[in-house]
Amino acid sequence: MNKPVHTRHGRLIAVAAAAALSLLILTACDGSGAKETSAADGGGVGTAAAHVKITMMANDAFAQQWQDKLVPEFNKEFPYIDVIIDSVPYTELLAKGMLNGTDPDPQYDLITLDDPWTPQLAKVGVLYELKKDATPWTDKSFDWSDFNAAPLASSEWDGKQYGVPLRSNMLMMFYNRSLYQKVGLAEPTPELTWSQYLKQAPSLVQDTDGDGKTDSWAVGLTWMRGALSPPVWQAVLNSNGGALFDKDLKPSFDTKQGVAALQTQVDLLKYAPPGAANYNYTEPLDAFRQGKVASIFTWGSAYKSAAVDPKVTRLTPEEVGIQTMPAGSDGPSTHRGIWSGSVFKNSKHPQAAWTLLQWMSSKKGEVWTTSTLGSFPARKSTLATAPTQAWLAPVFKALQSAYDVADKGQMWRPRTPESNAIQEILADQTSAAVQGQTSAADALKKASQQITDLLKK
Amino acid sequence: MTATAERTRERVGDIPRVQRPTVGRRSRGERTRIWSGVIVCVLFLLPLVWMLLTSFKFQRDIFTTPPTVFFEPTITQYVAAFKNAGLGPKMINTIIVALGAGILSLVAGAMAGYALSRLHIKGAATIGVLILVSRGVPPIALAVPMFLVARTLGITDTHITLILAYCSFVIPYVMWLMRGFFLSLPKELEESAMLDGCSRMGAFFRIIVPISAPGLISTFIFSVILAWEELLFALVLTSRKAVTVPVAIAGMAGDTEHGANWGALSAAGMLTVVPVVILALLVQKWLIRGLADGAIKG
Amino acid sequence: MTVEPLRGRIGGTRRASHRRDILSKWAFMLPAALLLAAVLAYPLLHTLRISFSTFDLASFSPTEWVGFANYAAALQNQTFQSSLIVTGVYLVLALPLQIVLGFGIAYLMNAGWRGRGLIRALFLIPMVVAPVVSGGIWKMILDPLWGVVDWFLGLFGVSAIDWFGNATISMVSIVLIDTWRSVPFVALIAAAALLALPKDVFEAAKVDGASWWHTLWSVSLPMLGPIIAATFVVRWLGAVKMFDIILATTNGGPGEATNVVNLFIYRQAFQLLKFSESSAMAVIVLVITTILTFVFLLGSKSLEDRL
Repeated sequence: MNKPVHTRHGRLIAVAAAAALSLLILTACDGSGAKETSAADGGGVGTAAAHVKITMMANDAFAQQWQDKLVPEFNKEFPYIDVIIDSVPYTELLAKGMLNGTDPDPQYDLITLDDPWTPQLAKVGVLYELKKDATPWTDKSFDWSDFNAAPLASSEWDGKQYGVPLRSNMLMMFYNRSLYQKVGLAEPTPELTWSQYLKQAPSLVQDTDGDGKTDSWAVGLTWMRGALSPPVWQAVLNSNGGALFDKDLKPSFDTKQGVAALQTQVDLLKYAPPGAANYNYTEPLDAFRQGKVASIFTWGSAYKSAAVDPKVTRLTPEEVGIQTMPAGSDGPSTHRGIWSGSVFKNSKHPQAAWTLLQWMSSKKGEVWTTSTLGSFPARKSTLATAPTQAWLAPVFKALQSAYDVADKGQMWRPRTPESNAIQEILADQTSAAVQGQTSAADALKKASQQITDLLKK
Repeated sequence: MTATAERTRERVGDIPRVQRPTVGRRSRGERTRIWSGVIVCVLFLLPLVWMLLTSFKFQRDIFTTPPTVFFEPTITQYVAAFKNAGLGPKMINTIIVALGAGILSLVAGAMAGYALSRLHIKGAATIGVLILVSRGVPPIALAVPMFLVARTLGITDTHITLILAYCSFVIPYVMWLMRGFFLSLPKELEESAMLDGCSRMGAFFRIIVPISAPGLISTFIFSVILAWEELLFALVLTSRKAVTVPVAIAGMAGDTEHGANWGALSAAGMLTVVPVVILALLVQKWLIRGLADGAIKG
Repeated sequence: MTVEPLRGRIGGTRRASHRRDILSKWAFMLPAALLLAAVLAYPLLHTLRISFSTFDLASFSPTEWVGFANYAAALQNQTFQSSLIVTGVYLVLALPLQIVLGFGIAYLMNAGWRGRGLIRALFLIPMVVAPVVSGGIWKMILDPLWGVVDWFLGLFGVSAIDWFGNATISMVSIVLIDTWRSVPFVALIAAAALLALPKDVFEAAKVDGASWWHTLWSVSLPMLGPIIAATFVVRWLGAVKMFDIILATTNGGPGEATNVVNLFIYRQAFQLLKFSESSAMAVIVLVITTILTFVFLLGSKSLEDRL
């Protein structure tokens, strides 16, 4: 018997030795290697004698779900990697990630990153470059090319890949079929244009119970000051072939086209429920769940809570349609919001950490997470399968087309370490225009000026 | 008023006597005053009543027109608060941290407040004001350096780190309140004690502290509340073992996938209120009385 | 006890005992001084250091000394300027309201009856609820579509008010919510202060036949002066820091209408990771706060002296 087996774990194994002698010898040999853990050799993926422990900082929305359901499933295949997932509130995740990434003795090996964050961390050099540094630990069957281009690009920066999509999301249009039928309007199709949609909006403000008071409105979206408000008019701009920035990252939205796009978002407020000017993410969703608005523009991941769960919504899957947002001259629009998983450069167990990410984003893992947890896949192969949950079928279809149009029109937030700062400026000015404090033209002019100043530094 | 408190008060001759509930018939003005007080209190509690109702609703029943008070009640949200957000252990963390910060700050702050009020130390007044002003520091300016220190010492994510961090804003507060309190005590108290052979420290702990018990207790309650609801330091300094309830609540509110569930948030909100209300009810007698004895003098 | 008793002064050499006495005095300051040096002074110095440097995220430490460059950048930042003004507006609206309301409620709460203790304990609750939750609950209550406030007003024929509909009313709503949270603190301190007032002065005023208004103006207020001033200073230092309610309701909007300076600095540091700039801004805020606090304290002192 080898030496490393004479540990606490070793004794436990000795009990089971009679049953699996050959395995014991194998693990003992591996164990001697895994004991000396260092980043240089990736720290291994653990052995029965010496488990590898990795920790992940994840967004509150799914950390618990992953810990309770996903980790046990992962452990069926990799029993010697112990995974701990801590939830961190969304607003602090990036800052805490930065603190951990620069820690000589880091607490975390992995992080989930929201769509615009990768450049900020990658620039500082705290993330593993997965297609290069992690190649020796990449499973041969891990198929990079199977990912849709749009979700994969969210964790890419400067031509390098720093993460893999774990929970994908796109801005979508949900519509309430009953409310459309009530006013005799045809159901929206992906071909519906923004101008057609604006023209229909007044008739969707209606009195459904005939008591003389308006009780249902046309639209809900994020109008409140925040990072998620500008993507709406950005989508309008993108759908007409416009872009926020040119190739040299100079603002290119202060144009007639840009002003018209922002004006669309401002005008839609007229057909929204009272108080909609302060609608953030949850409020329009709740109005939709209550059957008070005919359509909303929101993250696709909200579909389940808007249409399926009777404890949360008053609607049913039959009643709720999902598709890409209305079209412009270049076709339908959307906006990307991907949660990616990345490995910290200072991790002591990058191999195990990358193994977990590979498993989660592999063909097999995606099918499992989609069918068990209901989260959205990024792979073409997964989207081509028939989902186990029936309500996912129309969602898959919408998602696939959203990926395609997002990739074509670059429908995402600016790819720069200054992404968050830019978004804050856009948020201020979008909100000022929505409230009528300033005209759409002046708002964009001011935003363009401030962003130019910001990027000059 | 307890018997001991009564006795100490009598010993301290010149402290103004506290108004006592009048026995017998009240004047009309007095009755109006009582009822106005009750109405104002009820008005202030109305949002909390709404929160209580919301905490027993299914999510689909929270937003309705018109707002409803008749609905199918459920404890789902409380179960969710404990199960999904792991509120149980976080509540224990919060209690440990809030009490720890309260006690440590009370001891250190009361001693310093005493020094500032009675010992005529040169420059003490300036120090006092500077410490007071430090309460206006944007907390974000302290949180990150604190984290870096804790990281170097290897004590991130521990109760003691959070307790120490909370001292940064609770001690100044205790100091300021207790300084005013001590100013109102008659000087002869400790002087006579010291002539009897007590050291300064001895006089403080044997004479001043017992007399000031009501003031200390009310200051303690406010201190605990300050630490109880603190979010920013907790966010930066904890990650798993020492996470407090406000952090868990912030996470629930920022659900980027399904939107905030106001039912679960209300349930969590109600749960944070309960321990403090119990504490307040237990000591409510001193809550005002402590301050009444001259807590703040410029 | 390690400290020499006072009696020692009579015996030993004057100077030695004097020194010992000073030591014994400072012994009281020691625990607080040590703690505050570690958790307050050190972090502040660190922030000061960062504010004069560029900040390297990779090593997470200040690097090159840049003098006042960060300060210049901060002061030229339009959004920072506007956030200072917004904070000023909020303070001017909120502080007087909270102080007046606090003392008024304190007067009512002090009515002597059995339920007094319970009312005081219940009054603590608004302070305890996490700001995220109370902000959200208020947003729910004030919503023109679902909210119970507008529904109630509707019963009297008042048309729905959009409480966060424009810049002005958003600020008003924020002040209201913050007042709901902060008045209990003011009221509880004020209640205590009122109880401590000598009763006989009021009796005398009553006998003199002074009107209620006259009693308030020329008897109560002067006596309460120092207490009001002190409450004001404590509340002012709390209010300067307020941003969590705003984060939970308007997120600083509409436009920049409720973007108070602490919210702005928090964003600069935590969302944009601009630690040099945010440190400089924090120091600027601290300096302004310090100056104003001294002005308030001097003002209240000269007020006291005159009375």
